[in-house]
Amino acid sequence: MNKFKPSNVLVQTTFATIAAVVLLGGLASTFCFAEPPADASPTKTGSTAAATNSVALKPQAPEAAQPVLKPQLTGAELYSMHCNRCHPERYPTERTAAQWKTIMLHMQVRANIPGNQARLILQYLQDNSGR
Amino acid sequence: MAGCVIGMALPSRVTAEVSDADFNALKGTVEKLGEQVEDLQQSNIVQQQTHAQDTQLIGQLQQKLAETQQIATNAEQKSIEASMTQPMPRQPIDEATVNHNFMMLGDAEFQYAKLAGQHGAFLQADFAPIFLYRGGDNILFEAGFDTTLQNNAPNSSGYTTSFNLSFAQLDYVLNDYLTVAAGELLLPLGTYTERGAGWLNKIPDDPLAVDALLPGSGVGAELRGGIPVGDAGESLNYEVYVVNGPGSSDTPLTTSGAAANLDLGGNVGVRSDGVTANLHGHPSGGARLGFFVPFKPHYDLELGFSGQSGEWDDAGNHLWSAGVFDAALHLGPSFEAKGEYILTRYGSDDLGTHSQEGWWVQAGYKLAGLDLELPVINNLEIVGRYDALHDVYDPNNNNFDFKTQRYTVGYVYYFTNTLLFEGDYEFVNSNDPSQADQLIFQLSLGF
Repeated sequence: MNKFKPSNVLVQTTFATIAAVVLLGGLASTFCFAEPPADASPTKTGSTAAATNSVALKPQAPEAAQPVLKPQLTGAELYSMHCNRCHPERYPTERTAAQWKTIMLHMQVRANIPGNQARLILQYLQDNSGR
Repeated sequence: MAGCVIGMALPSRVTAEVSDADFNALKGTVEKLGEQVEDLQQSNIVQQQTHAQDTQLIGQLQQKLAETQQIATNAEQKSIEASMTQPMPRQPIDEATVNHNFMMLGDAEFQYAKLAGQHGAFLQADFAPIFLYRGGDNILFEAGFDTTLQNNAPNSSGYTTSFNLSFAQLDYVLNDYLTVAAGELLLPLGTYTERGAGWLNKIPDDPLAVDALLPGSGVGAELRGGIPVGDAGESLNYEVYVVNGPGSSDTPLTTSGAAANLDLGGNVGVRSDGVTANLHGHPSGGARLGFFVPFKPHYDLELGFSGQSGEWDDAGNHLWSAGVFDAALHLGPSFEAKGEYILTRYGSDDLGTHSQEGWWVQAGYKLAGLDLELPVINNLEIVGRYDALHDVYDPNNNNFDFKTQRYTVGYVYYFTNTLLFEGDYEFVNSNDPSQADQLIFQLSLGF
């Protein structure tokens, strides 16, 4: 029967400390570094870069007297929000437009993505698809 | 000059005299030459005749070639005319092509492991395809298989090849917020079961508590979906389901309700009358409610509560219940942390009602977030996990005294976004003899 061994605990503590330092360092760097680059989304197309650049969940009010209206999220933004939750992002060019339709139906069900958001993501993927 | 002088000095008669012998010799020579000329003339005549015949034959061949070319020209012309008059073959429409409605996704893994006290060995080869068939805009059939060649060490000798149906479900998307699913379902007890397969997980093996305490799938029906609750992408996601639920194992030790007989795999087992059949007619019910809050792309938080309860023994005297709290956090493209707390409770004939619990916390940081512009470093992710499993059934002592804690540190190297090479070392503290420290490597591919 295995039991706790002091040496084992020392090694564990050492590795756990290293792991904690690395992870906390990474976490700190996440906050210290600037916003993610515009091409954080894997697609390098101009439209995508523009779409990613358009991440403006808190738009500037053109005039102080007018109410602030949040723009609708784009397909690229929703893609970046949802797909990275579970797996490394897949490049839109990896599949054809028709294949993305089947895959997005699968992901809509599996990830419980609301239908209107799933359609925007699908549109983004199809617009930048391989064929 | 001397020759000219001698010639002028000699009389002309001297040069005109020819002996008979010389004359006859010369005559013979001339006659032979005449014969040779005749032979050449005859040979020339024959050659001319042969040339004439060849010329005639070439003419005939040229005529036949012309006829053949004419036939080919006519056939080509007829072909062109036919293609112009008949409709073109129908080109399949991309959207309607069967090959695009039917797809295969999935993953494949290959593991090498070194258990403490044992030689290192290739541990596992796994191929897990997922087949999708989309029947229109709202209907999807999906089935996942898992084919594994597993090294049995340290529990037994040899290798085991298994082929399992992980899930097979028919989904009907009723509207933007509701999907009906039926079949063998991946159970949404926490999120790991649905989101941790193969290459999705950053560590080669599953958390202890997920494997030991929760059923992975169940046959039944489910309602699920997501409801947007804000302008920034926030959504509530939910699942409500009924499944056959756990049962009693096929090898009853004392009664079907003995604690050791709990079988999370399904409700088919050996009844008290010795017949293998469905053990109870009351399905288990379960649900999950999650709240997804994205702050901006790649920055989000998800919290979820889930649970399941239902009879598990033949007599229907005992319940098996589980509750899971799950959380996941993303802070940028590089940092991810997630974990679950799992609590289960079930009654038994011999040991009464007992609770088991386990938890796991996992974090990963992609070094690309440091902006070091180093190719190898940029492809590396450092990962760590702490997981624990308490009060697990000990068959030798027929009680729940096994406890295990495990610390895992490792890395993920991304060759591409779908080809990953993972390496981890797991430090184990446990009174369960089947648990040991382990060095494990995995090459995984998502497709």
